[in-house]
Amino acid sequence: MKLFEKIIYSILNSKFKKFLVLFITFLAFVGSVMMLPTKIVLAKMLPGKSANTYSVYIDTPTGSSIEQTHMVTQCVNKILKKEKEITDIETYLGLGSPLDYAGLVKGSGFKRSENVAEIVVNLTDKHTRDEKSFMMVHRLRPVIQKSCENLIKGTNIKMIEQPAGPPTLASIVVELYGENSFKMREIAGEIASILKNTKGLVDVDIMQDEIFKKFELKVDKEKVIRSGLSIEQVNQILYLAFEGMAVAVKNSENSPEQIPLFLVLSKKTKELSSFSKQALEDKLSSLKLMNKKGMMIPVNEIVSINRVDSSPTIMSKDLEKMVNITAETDLVSQVYPLLVARDKIKEHFSKNYIVTNTHLFNLQLKDRVSGEIFNLDWDGEMKVTMDTFRDLGGAFIAALILIFLLMVIYYKSFAISGIILLGSFLSIIGVIVGHWVMDMITVDTFFLTATSLIGFIALMGISSRNSLLLIDFTLSLMKKKMEKRRAIAVATATRAKPIFLTAAAIILASTLLAKDPIFGGLGIALIFGTIAAVAVSLIFVPVLMDNTKSI
Amino acid sequence: MDKSNYKVTDVAGKLAKGFLHNPLTSLLGVFLLLVGYIALEVTPREEDPQIEISGGAVMVVLPGATPKQIDNIIVKPLERRIKEIKGVEHIYGVSAKNVGIVNVMYYIGENRESSNLKLYDKVMQNMDQLPKGTMQPIVKPFDIDIDIPIVTVAFYPKDGSKISTVALYKKVKYIQNELNRIENVAKTTLKGEKKEQYNVQVDLKKLSGFHLSMGQIVNALKSLAVDVPDVKNRTKDGKLVLFGVKNAIESIRDVKSLIIAQYMGSPIYLRDVADVSIGENIQDFRSAEILYKKDGKFNTSKKQITLTLSKLKGTNAVVIADKIQEKLDEFKETLSKEGIDFKVTRNYGVRADEAVNELVFHLLISIVIIALLLVFVLGWKESLIVTFTVPAILAVTIFVAFMTGQTINRITLFAFLLSLGLLVDAAIIVIENIHRHLHSHESVDKDMDEILIEATDEIGAPTNIATLAIILTMVPMAFVGQMMGQFMKPIPQNVPVALFASLVVAYIFTPYLSRKLLKKPKMHHHEHHFQKDTLEQKKDEK
Repeated sequence: MKLFEKIIYSILNSKFKKFLVLFITFLAFVGSVMMLPTKIVLAKMLPGKSANTYSVYIDTPTGSSIEQTHMVTQCVNKILKKEKEITDIETYLGLGSPLDYAGLVKGSGFKRSENVAEIVVNLTDKHTRDEKSFMMVHRLRPVIQKSCENLIKGTNIKMIEQPAGPPTLASIVVELYGENSFKMREIAGEIASILKNTKGLVDVDIMQDEIFKKFELKVDKEKVIRSGLSIEQVNQILYLAFEGMAVAVKNSENSPEQIPLFLVLSKKTKELSSFSKQALEDKLSSLKLMNKKGMMIPVNEIVSINRVDSSPTIMSKDLEKMVNITAETDLVSQVYPLLVARDKIKEHFSKNYIVTNTHLFNLQLKDRVSGEIFNLDWDGEMKVTMDTFRDLGGAFIAALILIFLLMVIYYKSFAISGIILLGSFLSIIGVIVGHWVMDMITVDTFFLTATSLIGFIALMGISSRNSLLLIDFTLSLMKKKMEKRRAIAVATATRAKPIFLTAAAIILASTLLAKDPIFGGLGIALIFGTIAAVAVSLIFVPVLMDNTKSI
Repeated sequence: MDKSNYKVTDVAGKLAKGFLHNPLTSLLGVFLLLVGYIALEVTPREEDPQIEISGGAVMVVLPGATPKQIDNIIVKPLERRIKEIKGVEHIYGVSAKNVGIVNVMYYIGENRESSNLKLYDKVMQNMDQLPKGTMQPIVKPFDIDIDIPIVTVAFYPKDGSKISTVALYKKVKYIQNELNRIENVAKTTLKGEKKEQYNVQVDLKKLSGFHLSMGQIVNALKSLAVDVPDVKNRTKDGKLVLFGVKNAIESIRDVKSLIIAQYMGSPIYLRDVADVSIGENIQDFRSAEILYKKDGKFNTSKKQITLTLSKLKGTNAVVIADKIQEKLDEFKETLSKEGIDFKVTRNYGVRADEAVNELVFHLLISIVIIALLLVFVLGWKESLIVTFTVPAILAVTIFVAFMTGQTINRITLFAFLLSLGLLVDAAIIVIENIHRHLHSHESVDKDMDEILIEATDEIGAPTNIATLAIILTMVPMAFVGQMMGQFMKPIPQNVPVALFASLVVAYIFTPYLSRKLLKKPKMHHHEHHFQKDTLEQKKDEK
């Protein structure tokens, strides 16, 4: 302790050494902050969480039958069955799986059509399993997509992991707004292919109905009326014949529900021989309607058949037409692929559109010829991340101001309060460097997350306390008529022990936090930030104290 | 205490003085621990904190309309009306064939009940503006607690069992009813179920052969399945006599032998033109399958029915899941006899319990580690005193959390872990100062009580300020918006409470326990000592 006192004293007495301390601190600060833009330390809202379950969402193109969808699920299940760590697999055909946090925002509960299926995969307990669930998803995703997406053209298979924090629609969501739905479809397709070719992005999907061929029956009104039928009757019988209807019910005492009497044409007789207008016409010719006079009239005589395109579902957000293009990230943060994709989009569309930047990362495309405007907004986890980091940043600044005000009230000096604030702010060096060190130690990327920021905010209070104890003690020594530099050196040396002690308590308490996937960032921020805070308050703060005239 | 001539200046000293000789202090300690323990047991446990999301969907059906028509006449006007509601963040419109859906998302943190009410109100107010032919709009609010099941169970036929899908459904339906009776179980649903129905599948060729139309079959079936209430009649002496017509459909034979028409003088039965059977509802394309491992190998895919169960808000997932499991085990044998097996495919109760227990375990380890650290640096008695304050502080925090209607979840426990490093500080600072004063030669002449109070009071002001600084850093976090803010809310809610409790507990119990455990060393005026540096003193002793 005497030695430490001497060191501090010698630093304070040499102008060069003081300059060196300030300079090294400045370098460390700039160096660590530069790790963020140079991507040495990567930021993400929340890291992946190893779970005991994940899901596979299957979307065959709109207009596909349940049989086709079933075929794709069988293909997926065949691959999943080879996995040792899977205990059971539940397949839900034509409907969503039981709702979970991911499904809640991804619209799983609303699914009810023949072209959707969801598969829930349960794994062995994560404590006994070597492979983390997100690594397994990462490994299986290309295998499944490669062999099963080609079965039916246009099939989209997504691997859905349970979110570590609040759920979002997807990691990256591009919202495309515009009026011209035809053009929007085209632009959406181009954006999707750009996203597909961006490294780190997977499961790219456009949330719109595919346009498929269908037949439209046009009723000849004159013929209908002349033959003593009604249009309603035609509609009803057609629906009854091919879709079927419960025409009556039977109440039963042994059944949980009324038992319907369901009437439909038999499967064999209603099947068309092929997907063609002729086949449909042939079938309709054998379906006859009875008019009021008891005469039988074949349906094909009163309708004309046209082959048309299906009209897709129209989506809108906040009263504006919108198409969503979604993508998931594969083990990486969504921030960096987004920036890459954004540059590519700007380059790609600059040929036919005038591309301008709007709010934050958002873009606006203006057609060079027609002048039509399309807006391109980023939503999904990206937006949540931005909002969260912005809010936490705001909370951080608010915390700084509050501490400053508190110190000003306590010390009645702006300079001393400034030193405390600066000292606590510098713990950011430890936070960033800590993440860099962890990233090198661990196998997968160790991200700077929202919880790291929370840790940093908490650190502010802790390191300001270190400086506070130091300054308090120095002031009381100086009251006892000790010379200023000597007082600072003695105070630093004697206060070093409780500072080390409380720091050790925080570090030890945080080691178990560091193991957690979500709160790892917080743990690391606390451990390394505290180390930095101790170094800063024992060397850097004394130098500042010496330099100020307020003490 | 009257003999002490030290003048107490800070709250710290006042608390220390007030409780130092109070016989209730030890009782208070026991009481705090007890209250904390009870709160730990009673507080509902969950894995993730509850996020208040309000929103809903409005569904309007207009048969036969194309997406563009729906967009123009239903979705757009509806969106405009809903935009008038205060607190709505986003409106998502979906215009599909026959149906328009408007999804409404409120800002996070908006009161759910009033949001739901506002939405319903808005839709009902504008009923008159809906186009002709639309069906009654359906307003469905989101409800995370009720919508996300905590337990799902898959029921499937046992190997070799020939139970039909309908029989399976009936049995599962019965079990659904039974499980729904469990306290705090909210919504239960079935997925992949096949309901019972009479399937009348008409052969098109035979139909034209007999010169019949589908309409005739419809009419014949309708006339058969009629239920009427009993007819009341009276006898001469005024007694009631009831009689009623029985539903004509008793069995499948009744349906089969339904006469549809007369052809050339002979009746045509339904069975002549159609295949009639009783079985599952063939028009429902939805189904569910299960694959599971048996002896290390996957079975072939089986049809299954999934029963999902969710809980009421603010209730204990662990307890409910346990009760469901218990009840299922009761059914196991009877189900097995009927050829049905089941598998719990999701259990959030177990997950929540595991997560909570793991974190509680981590918390204990951390406390032990810190205690060990203190033993080396300060001595075992001092360490013991500081270690006691930790459960006392946590007990107060948990109790406050319980009283304010929070649940114990991962984030709450992380808040505890985060504050653990901070909340021992106050106690450490107090005990360190007491230690210093006890070994200081200035206090040789002083009374033990006086030393304790003075030592506590002395560091009161800077410790208060330092703790206040940390509390202040946490306060702005409470104002972080969005889902993340909601998700992290337990941190700004609990850490300040823990820190405040740490101050009070440190001021009350540290001097009190010091008086019981620590002894003033026998020192003389001339003796040399290291008053500030116990670390070196320890080394010297060794």
